[in-house]
Amino acid sequence: MKASFWIGTALAALLAGGAVAQELKFAPGQDSKFTWKSYEDFKAAHANLKGQSLTLFGPWRGEDEVLFNSVLAYFNAATGINGRYSSSENYEQQIVIDTQAGSPPNIAIIPQPGLLADLAAKGFLTSLGQENSDWVKTNYGSGGDWIRYGTYKGKDGKEAYFGFPFKADFKSMVWYVPENFEEAGYEVPKTMEDLIKLSDQIVKDGGVPWCIGLGSGGATGWPATDWVEDMMLRTQKPEVYDKWVSNEVKFNDPAVIGAIDEFGKFAKNPKYVSGGVAAVASTDFRDSPKGLFGIPPKCYLHHQASFVPSFFPPDTKLGTDADFFYLPTYASKPELGTPVLGAGTMFAITKDSPTAKAFIEFLKTPIAHEVWMAQSSFLTPFKGANPNAYANDVLKKQGELLTTATTFRFDASDLMPGKIGAGAFWTGMVDYVGGKDAKTVATDIQKAWDGLK
Amino acid sequence: MSAVVSLRRIGLPRLIVHASVLVICFIWLIPTLGILVTSFREAGQITASGWWTAFTGAAETSAARLGEPSTAKQNGATYVISGSVFEGGKGGSVRAFGTRVAAPTEFAAGKPADIGDGETLTINEDGSYTYSKNAPFESGRGKRVYLSVATPPSFTTENYRTVLTSQGIGQSFVNSLTVAVPATIIPILIAAFAAYALSWMEFPGRALIIALVVGLIVVPLQMSLIPLLKMYNEIGNFFGVPSRSYAGIWLAHSAFGMPLAIYLLRNYISGLPREIIESARVDGASDFEIFVKIILPLSFPALASFSIFQFLWTWNDLLVAMVFLGTGKDQLVLTGALNALLGSMGGKWEILTASAFITIVVPIIVFFALQRYLVRGLLAGSVKGG
Repeated sequence: MKASFWIGTALAALLAGGAVAQELKFAPGQDSKFTWKSYEDFKAAHANLKGQSLTLFGPWRGEDEVLFNSVLAYFNAATGINGRYSSSENYEQQIVIDTQAGSPPNIAIIPQPGLLADLAAKGFLTSLGQENSDWVKTNYGSGGDWIRYGTYKGKDGKEAYFGFPFKADFKSMVWYVPENFEEAGYEVPKTMEDLIKLSDQIVKDGGVPWCIGLGSGGATGWPATDWVEDMMLRTQKPEVYDKWVSNEVKFNDPAVIGAIDEFGKFAKNPKYVSGGVAAVASTDFRDSPKGLFGIPPKCYLHHQASFVPSFFPPDTKLGTDADFFYLPTYASKPELGTPVLGAGTMFAITKDSPTAKAFIEFLKTPIAHEVWMAQSSFLTPFKGANPNAYANDVLKKQGELLTTATTFRFDASDLMPGKIGAGAFWTGMVDYVGGKDAKTVATDIQKAWDGLK
Repeated sequence: MSAVVSLRRIGLPRLIVHASVLVICFIWLIPTLGILVTSFREAGQITASGWWTAFTGAAETSAARLGEPSTAKQNGATYVISGSVFEGGKGGSVRAFGTRVAAPTEFAAGKPADIGDGETLTINEDGSYTYSKNAPFESGRGKRVYLSVATPPSFTTENYRTVLTSQGIGQSFVNSLTVAVPATIIPILIAAFAAYALSWMEFPGRALIIALVVGLIVVPLQMSLIPLLKMYNEIGNFFGVPSRSYAGIWLAHSAFGMPLAIYLLRNYISGLPREIIESARVDGASDFEIFVKIILPLSFPALASFSIFQFLWTWNDLLVAMVFLGTGKDQLVLTGALNALLGSMGGKWEILTASAFITIVVPIIVFFALQRYLVRGLLAGSVKGG
């Protein structure tokens, strides 16, 4: 272990050619699942920036920060740039403060396109240009959708491309424990009809099918927005979803109310949810998945995004102890294809410099993606990255679903104005689960939206 | 009968007062106790059960895996896998076991259970098991069994170790002290001067200035973050120095703490007996001499109590430090570093509770060091009769 570490650092130091010797997670040149050529090419093309600095600011803290720093280390080693990443709990507020006060980082990493659009409109972002936009369009799975989420109106009122997507989250998934399924003789459902049938079967067998937890401190309610968005994509055309995001389709439109009620079919059925309907709003989303692993299990199914394994019990092996299936679509609506709900982080230049431009170039190399893929909790829609680099089959399966999705839609609540997507929508969902009917809740949210105009 | 006698001596009203104080103290301390107990529990235990169950050994249901089919030994016509379910290192005593997750306590420990397919399984209290079948086992992973295990109460110091040995925590501790100590002393010094001037020096517009200072108390600091940082950036650019520095955060903390400090200290200082100050004037003392020799020593209780407030506020502050000192690894204050340990999604109770007790140490030292003066000041006033 120690020996390989020293060999690794020695190699890295040699290859970095006198640059600051940073610890590289995987020694360049070894292990053919990595596209090392892209690393060498990048290094050759950016040799003139040695010693300059680059600051990045984003949402990742704790383990995620360690992971991102391991990617950044390759950039630093290749270019000799001193790139430093930092984060803060209130990064959304902090980035607004920093840009307005005139001391922004070079690159801001933001998972909410809505927030980036605000910053772009005030003229705080530097456009990445047509070239990057074209690159994402051709090289990312459903690239056309991705660039839409990175294109905003600038200060001059003209649309330009600002946000470079790197690291995606996959949301349309249902987690389960394969061994529990095996013991009870349940099959992974292929259609929404089957999923409902399976839920009924579990109830009949004396179990509880779902664990749903909306609790999240000040953000309580957001897990329900993912449900509604997924149901929206499974009952309506993607165009309706887009119009819903821009409020051309009102929140209290029958289409949206229908999607909320689809969620209610699961969350408001006392036989379906662990702890009863009252527990849905009060259970923390981080504690909710633990019900899957209870003995006896508190539930058999859990709908949550790709980050959730970090809240599974510590020694859970993905793929064997826990697995996921794609939240299926209605067999009765084949025209909707296989829609995928996801989210992603956008990299935007808040203070232009050659180093910032170089970092965006770095994100276009397969190696930048593969280093994180080979560790954990990272998905990329980048088709140039080697899927074999994924650390486990569960991640690989998610990555494949992401690159092959017929429709990719970004988490609507992240796209809506903050007061709705991170406010009225959340509280509305808590009210809905608390007993109000879908129509009242949707009308309340629409009223809040009207109030913004 | 001595109990009755002593009860009579104390008197019922006093007894009730004492009892209620005890009850209130107890209720007040419960959350702290909960956090303390939680900080010594493992992450898994914290989510599984409440902290009040920590002291009683609980019957925990858990899963274990039997040996793989490849380890089976043939014994005549039967095949046997044996071993212990506690091979992972954890101990305890098995009370019941089961082979279906829906019924994890189907069979009592120590008795052979017929689980169908010609298989029998016995798990003894000490965890040893024999799993036999009248035909070869199918290959694959070891069979999963479910156990009800009586575990003795267990505590761990692992959480504290995680927090204390995490990278950069020592640096952030020093950073926090570097921020908090000057940010406590500077505003108190300035505010004491101002409070003296506003209460004992005659000059026009004095009442207006007091009103202005009191008015400033209501301005929320969040509102002034952006303009203030903007100003810092401009000054930093002008002199060619970084805008985010310790000097900057000291000034920011001082400014945010000043209105309340001036208001509190003025109220106290203007309440000092006029005779002392006037006789000092008659004796020819200058304003500065009066301030240093008379006002400062007399107002020590007020200074001490305010410095406790100000120190606690700067020590616990996260927002101002993040904005004016920056978020880089080498500038993080303790609150920031601990917050980063929680990860992007939060929810790590074991880290949160352990860090709470680590951060509490310094304020407690400060409080007990200054509390002596607080009490003395209060008592001195009461003996004199106001």
